[in-house]
This record gives sequence, structure tokens and C-alpha cells, in this order.
Amino acid sequence: MKTISKVLKKDHLKSLLRKLAKDRQLVAPVRNSYGDTLFTEIEALDGVEIDLDNQAQSSLKSFLFPQQQVLFEYSTDQGSAPVYKAIDSDGPTVFFGLRSCDLAAILYMDVIFLKEVKDPYYRQKRENNILISIGCNEPFSNCFCRQTKSGPFMEYGFDLQLTDLGDRFFVETGRAQGEEIIQQWAHFFSPASKEDEKAQYQMRLEAQGNFKRQVLVDLAIRKLKDDLVPEEVWSKLSSRCQDCGGCAYICPTCTCFTINDRKISTDSGERIRTWDACTFAGFTTMAGGHNPVDMKQNRMKRRFMHKLYYDVKSHNRTSCVGCGRCVDMCFGGVDIIKFINMVGQGEI
Amino acid sequence: MNNIYLPNSAIIKEVIDENEQIKTFVTVFRDEMFNRSFTYEPGQFMMVSIPGLGEAPISISSTPTRPGALHLSVRKAGSLTNAMHQLQAGDYLGLRGPYGRPFPLDIMGKDLLFVAGGIGLAPLCSVINYCLDQSGSHGKKIILYGSRRPSDIAFQSDITAWQKHSNVTCLLTVDQEEPGWSGSVGLVTSLLHNIDLNCDKSAALVCGPPVMIPPVLQQLKKNGFTDENIWTTMERYMKCGVGMCGHCHMEGEMVCVDGPVFNKAELNSLKLET
Repeated sequence: MKTISKVLKKDHLKSLLRKLAKDRQLVAPVRNSYGDTLFTEIEALDGVEIDLDNQAQSSLKSFLFPQQQVLFEYSTDQGSAPVYKAIDSDGPTVFFGLRSCDLAAILYMDVIFLKEVKDPYYRQKRENNILISIGCNEPFSNCFCRQTKSGPFMEYGFDLQLTDLGDRFFVETGRAQGEEIIQQWAHFFSPASKEDEKAQYQMRLEAQGNFKRQVLVDLAIRKLKDDLVPEEVWSKLSSRCQDCGGCAYICPTCTCFTINDRKISTDSGERIRTWDACTFAGFTTMAGGHNPVDMKQNRMKRRFMHKLYYDVKSHNRTSCVGCGRCVDMCFGGVDIIKFINMVGQGEI
Repeated sequence: MNNIYLPNSAIIKEVIDENEQIKTFVTVFRDEMFNRSFTYEPGQFMMVSIPGLGEAPISISSTPTRPGALHLSVRKAGSLTNAMHQLQAGDYLGLRGPYGRPFPLDIMGKDLLFVAGGIGLAPLCSVINYCLDQSGSHGKKIILYGSRRPSDIAFQSDITAWQKHSNVTCLLTVDQEEPGWSGSVGLVTSLLHNIDLNCDKSAALVCGPPVMIPPVLQQLKKNGFTDENIWTTMERYMKCGVGMCGHCHMEGEMVCVDGPVFNKAELNSLKLET
């Protein structure tokens, strides 16, 4: 598909979002009164500070795959068969201001939830989405998306991708839906001049060099593939893991879940899906107590192997998107960057 | 849209007490049309649930060659299976499935050696009866089944039928004797020493508790079975059954969709110690 390039003045952004949000939910990074920047559902745009200067602390994972979600309700009357009633999900959504890593994470979740067998709840939330992403001219402090090939700008997956050019955004279309937006709300957009195109190209080029951390992802992948990671790396890292699951919860591509029933009354209740973490001790424990993956060391190994080796093997790319969120989350300091560099530099 | 998480309601027609720990639930889907069209292959499993108590993967012990009722043999292990053991004929179960990669159909006509321990006979029952029901199948079938005590021997009615079958040799062994037992005593591996099979033209199917698997696989290798001809079925904690929840992830494979049936060569390539 041919990309259409336009320019959107920053003054017009809120007006455009207001139009798009008219018959859709709007989710964007919002700075709240505590100083946190979080992807937030915006009810009314007035008085809301959409924050494009800081990395959102949360990803969009919870909007497509909620931390806790009722799959269905059941009721059982004494002596009669149980009745299962599925829950409907909500309508279309505009996701605005997602970064390349957030977008890549959604595309990865599509691989997991929308394969041959489709997850009906994810699909419902994913359908009718508009994705308006913004490339990162200045990657944030823990970012390494260039190494995971998921940024700082994306080539696909978005409806519209913005590049910040100071007083205006350079806008590219990625899917037909993006073109429709530009056509439908043409008066907000102006044609991109040669200078705009040059400025955007320059921004993208410079962004590649603006990463603050060197993270040797490809080297780590090769060493994992060739089984060259000493056991000592795993044991050293796992000795600092507190089994909190924070890395998995904050990770935009950790999609493991558990399913449990919650009784509401003696004859009714809900079946609920909740985020789970493969680093938890009980993650693989079977009824009766047998656990095929029973050491913390093995659990940690499994998490990093999954991100950097198994997903490369099965999907030809890492499921780590280089967002760096787990770095600030881990109070044991045994995040994925630490692991990658320990492996890469051979330092134990 | 088809909701993969919604169970189909099934009614328990009969509960067979296999031993103190194992019961077989003979179930029929309430929707008769669905029940008639429902089919599966030996080695597949169902996600079985009781509202309020959750779900667990249970292998199917009946064979699709005998349609109409689905047999689920369940050992008391956790809260759900303990609750299942309280159920009686007329009670309901929620079922979804069938899930997983079955035993390969192309081995069914070969000479087959089955090695099972305890509840591990459940998925193999499905294959054994499937093979015996195939009119063209004249291959030799040897069944070796180990139990803890004679009173623990499950699937008695099947065993009785197999022992009468001309193509079948069915040998039992127990770990601990009890009064009245005149059969073999010892691990199931001990029965493997005098097996009369052409290993090149046969396959071995193994299922049992984790402690049983490694010595059996070693002995089968000594007997001359190649890794490609040794099949087993893995047990893992599972929540979805469709390769999404991550619990049964095993060295890049999802046991629920890539398995639960694997041959030993496949397990070796996953660097799993067996």
C-alpha cells in the first residue's frame, strides 16, 4: 500500500481526537495529578494533559487483555444443568500516542491471541481499533527497541504514525483506515512539503543514534541459540529475583494467564481470567504437587528464553520489544537488559 | 462468534469406581445433536469443569470407535478432581475440547507395545480399544500395566476383555502384594525383559507417573526400539487448552497443542531429559 504523507498542526490535534472519539473510546497517555503518565481512557478531552514527552509507565496490554476479566457467568440451580452466559466486551477504541514498542507489542499479542484458534475476548477488543502511534525522536532512558527491531519508528501496523516536527506532526498512513481518517477529516491536515519530508527523514535518522543504552540483543540471541549461556548467569540472576511477577505484569508482551472461578452465591458465579507470571512458583505445579519446572533458576531461564529464543524460533522475532519498562520495575535489578548484557559481555 | 471458553454441558450417565483413587465418568452431552456429531482421536483430552471449582485437563479414555459416550478417568489429586469424585450419575460436568495432538493413526496397524502405570492407562485405553475395533488391524498388541497394589488395578473390565482377545497379551504387575495375588510383583520395567516383538516393525506407547517414565524408556532402548517408535503423552498444568495461557509451555512447545503426545525423538530435540 502506498503511504500518504500529511502534516497535522499540533493546534489541531485535540480537535481531531475529539472527532475520532465521538463514537469511540479514546485511550491516550495522560499525565495524572500524581505525576504519573499512564495510558488512560479519556472521557472528556478538555482539561486533560496528553503527555507525549514521557514514556507511559503502563503499556496498552490491559486495554486489550485486562488484568482481570470475566469470561462468563454461570448459574446452577439445584438439580438442573448449569447455564453459561458469555460477557460482551466494549466497542471500538482509538489508541492514540502509542510508541513503536507499544504497537509492536500489540502485533505480538495478535500472534498469540488471533492464531488459528482465536481468543474471542481479545478479538472483540482488538476489532475496530484505530492505532495512531508516534515515533520516538528521543528514545527514553531504558529503551532499546532498535535492537529488538521494534522502533524507534515502525514500518507497519499503525493506521497513522506521527513524527514530532516541533509545531506540527508529520503523518504517515499505514493501513486503509488511516487513509480514511485523513480523507474524512481532511480540513485538519495539510499536504506535506518537501521540507517536511526532509525534516521527518532527518528526525528518523537522528533518532537511531539517540539511544542511551547499548543492549546487545542479537549477541544474546546467538548465545542462547548455541547454548553458550553459563548456568552461573541464571543462578546469579535468580538469586536476586523476589518472585513478585512485576516484570511479567508490566511487560507489554507477557500474555500468560490463569483461569479461576469465583462464586457469587451458592448457585452462581463467574469464570475469571487473570494475568499470571511464569516466574511464580505455582505456575507449573499440578494438582497433587508435582512441578516439572520447580527451581526459581529454571523459571527465570524460561522467561528470558521465551522472550529471546523460543519466540525467535517460532515467530522469527523476539517478543521483547525493548520498551525497558521492566528495568524500572525490578527491585532486584535482574531485568532483561541486565541479562542480555551479562550474556553478551560474558560478565558474571 | 464461537467462544472457545464456554463449556458444553454434559450429564454423567454412570460412575465406575476403578479403585480408591480413580473413577471413570461416562458422560453424554446434553445437546443430543452435538453429542452425535462429537468426535475425537485417541490421545486427545478435554477441559473438564465444575462451576465454582474451575477446570482441569483430563485425557479421554474411551475410543471414538464406540461413539455416544465419552469416558473420562479421573484420579483424585486436587480440589476439582476431589469434587468430581463426589459426583454421581445424573450430575453435570462442563466439557470443552477435544484438544491436543493425538497418537498418530499410522502406527495403529503395527505391532504395539503399551506400557502403563496407574492412571496412565487411561489415554492408552483409548488407543488400545481403537486398534482392537479396527477391522483391518491384526497387529500384535502387548499391554504391560503396573499398579501399586492388586486392589489398585484400574480398568478391570477392559483388562478382562483384552485378556480374552486372541491378538492381545496383557500382563499385570504390582509393587506390593496382597493376599490372593498370584501374579507378578515388581516394577513394570521387569515385564519388559521378555518381550517378543520385532522392534523394527512395532511402536511402544508409554504413559505413567513421572518416576516410571525414565526407566521404561531406558529399557525400551535396550530392547531395540528407536526413539521415533517410542511414544508418550505428557501431563502439564493447563488453563486454556489452545496454546495461549502459557502454563504448559515446554522448551518452546505448547503441550496442549504440540502435544500432549510426543515421540522420544521429539522430546530429545527439546533437550528434555527422559
